[in-house]
Amino acid sequence: MNYKPTIIGFLCNWCSYTGADLAGTSRQKYEDKIRIIRVMCSGRIEPTFVLDAFRKGADGILICGCHPGDCHYHEGNYKCLRRFHLLQKYTQQMGIEKERLRLEWISASEGKEFAELVDEMSEKIASLGKCMVKETLDTYR
Amino acid sequence: MEEYRIGVYICWCGTNIAMMVDVEAVVEEIKKLPNVTIAKDYKYMCSDPGQDLIVKDIKEHHLNRIVVAACSPRMHEPTFRKALENAGLNPYFFEMANIREQVSWVHTDRIEATRKAKGLVAGAVKRVVHHKALNKRYVDIHPATLIIGAGVAGMSAALEIADSGQKVHLVEQCNQLGGMVRKVDLNYPYLNSSRQTISQLIKNTEEHPDIQIYTESKIDKISGYIGNFRALLSNHQEQRELEFGNILIATGLKSFDPSIIENYGYKRIPNVITSADFEKMLYSGLIHCENGKEPGNIAIIHCVGSRNENYHPYCSRTCCMTALKYINQISSAAPECNIYDIYADMRAIGKDCEELYASTSKKNVMFLMFDQQHDLPVIKQNGNGKTVSIEFTELLSGESIHIQANMVVLMTAVESQANNKEIAHLAGISTDKNGFFIEKHPKLDPVATTTEGVYIAGTCQSPKDIPDSIVQAKAAAARILATIAKGKVQVEVTTAQVNEDICCGCQCCASVCPYSAISYNEDKKVSEVNEILCKGCGTCASACPSGAIVSKHFTDNQILSQITGVLEMQIETA
Ligand code: SF4
Ligand code: SF4
Ligand code: SF4
Ligand code: FES
Repeated sequence: MNYKPTIIGFLCNWCSYTGADLAGTSRQKYEDKIRIIRVMCSGRIEPTFVLDAFRKGADGILICGCHPGDCHYHEGNYKCLRRFHLLQKYTQQMGIEKERLRLEWISASEGKEFAELVDEMSEKIASLGKCMVKETLDTYR
Repeated sequence: MEEYRIGVYICWCGTNIAMMVDVEAVVEEIKKLPNVTIAKDYKYMCSDPGQDLIVKDIKEHHLNRIVVAACSPRMHEPTFRKALENAGLNPYFFEMANIREQVSWVHTDRIEATRKAKGLVAGAVKRVVHHKALNKRYVDIHPATLIIGAGVAGMSAALEIADSGQKVHLVEQCNQLGGMVRKVDLNYPYLNSSRQTISQLIKNTEEHPDIQIYTESKIDKISGYIGNFRALLSNHQEQRELEFGNILIATGLKSFDPSIIENYGYKRIPNVITSADFEKMLYSGLIHCENGKEPGNIAIIHCVGSRNENYHPYCSRTCCMTALKYINQISSAAPECNIYDIYADMRAIGKDCEELYASTSKKNVMFLMFDQQHDLPVIKQNGNGKTVSIEFTELLSGESIHIQANMVVLMTAVESQANNKEIAHLAGISTDKNGFFIEKHPKLDPVATTTEGVYIAGTCQSPKDIPDSIVQAKAAAARILATIAKGKVQVEVTTAQVNEDICCGCQCCASVCPYSAISYNEDKKVSEVNEILCKGCGTCASACPSGAIVSKHFTDNQILSQITGVLEMQIETA
């Protein structure tokens, strides 16, 4: 028991990545299995990135962007949201549980919220256990 | 094929990183990765010797890619890019791994933190080989400046800029200039007239030939980018367009309404007034209760709405000293009056403020301390209708205190303007959880914002007193003048680019671009990106069904190999 899931976080540069940095400067502690990848805007997140991360062994994917209305490029987060719903349908069809793929809004001032989000998501995924996408695909190879 | 020679540097940040991450172990692991020519750790990478180390190694070992694992790239990416340039390498052949803000400061298990650091560095190493040389592009700076808000900060900056011969558009939503300070009678610590100070400033601003003032006006839209902004401005009659190169936001703040604090009974109990109400009274020259009589006992309560999680968590900065100012003004206007100053902590920050506290203590005043977090005083109306009673526990003596007063002055908090979100949205910047604008860096760059060409000054950033507002305003003015003097400014190079051979002309990209930077070329039947308008969000790249768009510096290859790196290390060493 006590499986610690590996999460890949895709964070937009302006709000969410800054929010995660704020968690650091204010010394908020959170689960250490998350690996953060910076993109300029959540609108840049392609389905390929998410599928690729699952394929390579991630147990969960967390996409974070600015709150609605706050995107540095005005509406990238809306574009991301629209794509996200489709993507989630697709991953669910692949047998990936809904909880493993999340889109959340984190502002530059929400360091604490970011830390809490990571902990909460880790806990949920921990109860699901390891994501089997990589293993399954590897056996077919 | 190009031979990659990567130099990797792991920073200790003194003990900030090294205490939680075994930097030497990271170096050993990273050395094993393909293409890594050298890997080193160093105490302070951002220091001059740290940067020199990179420059020296690039030359000696013919490095062509650099990875630094240190603090957030939001902090020192520009520093290290500069070092690469100094060594004659394109600054974009660089990648940073954030092992301080996102590792050592947030994790507690040294083994896991070290493993994570290895992963992040491996991700950066895998990514950096896909980096391409990008060349800087420059645009001309429009020499005019837009200043939003004509309070003490806005006017000070306007004068600074206009005095050096540059044009300023000064926009104010009220019908007169002066902001908050105009409503203040005397200012602390020297108790001289605010009116005089501010009216001189207003006069100079109004008479300046290079300052164009627009009162009762608001900004409807801002478009463009540093050097070349445009805004739509409207008042009751008309809408007009302005062009300018930089923006300074100096919209100030407003008073908190204390009627939501049940204990104090503001608006319910007569003769309980706010500092703003009292200021008006002082301005008119007569201190009086509702029945017109001069009060025999006045109580002043500090931190009303400040420093309390139920209202505002922050300190409003000026209320303590303003309270001392009131004590002085009351003792000279009504020498017989007893004053009770009910404070939480006496904050006398700033030049000559502690001295003001010392001299005020000699007046006819009793200082009483209360517990601002857990035990706010309770104000009740007495049966006689003339006095109120104030009850609380005095913290220093531990006694319960009962005061009868004819008048209570609430030192109300200040709070961010209601439309800050709107303004932030127009200018493409952010607000913090209290609604104040967020500066680019709280220590190293408190006047710029994350949007190039947009600056903030005065109390719209956080509560502050007049001198501090002016300092920030003049600093912002100096920054703006520096860009104007240069005449040119570097613009985004990490733009999008269409590969014409693959583009099928579907125009999905054009429909998602927030800056209308993509147009369709009828002759070639492909889409094209205007690199001056493109801000590099990358949304078009992820929308393109043919994979024809390259989002420079955030290409699919770069991100996919970073994913490989961070995950590989995770699984290998787990
Ligand atoms: S580069 Fe960053 S992490 Fe390293 S010493 Fe400087 S501030 Fe600290
Ligand atoms: S979305 Fe892609 S294929 Fe379609 S027009 Fe744009 S670049 Fe061409
Ligand atoms: S990267 Fe963003 S701004 Fe640039 S063309 Fe694409 S969608 Fe427009
Ligand atoms: S910049 Fe944060 S979501 Fe677009």
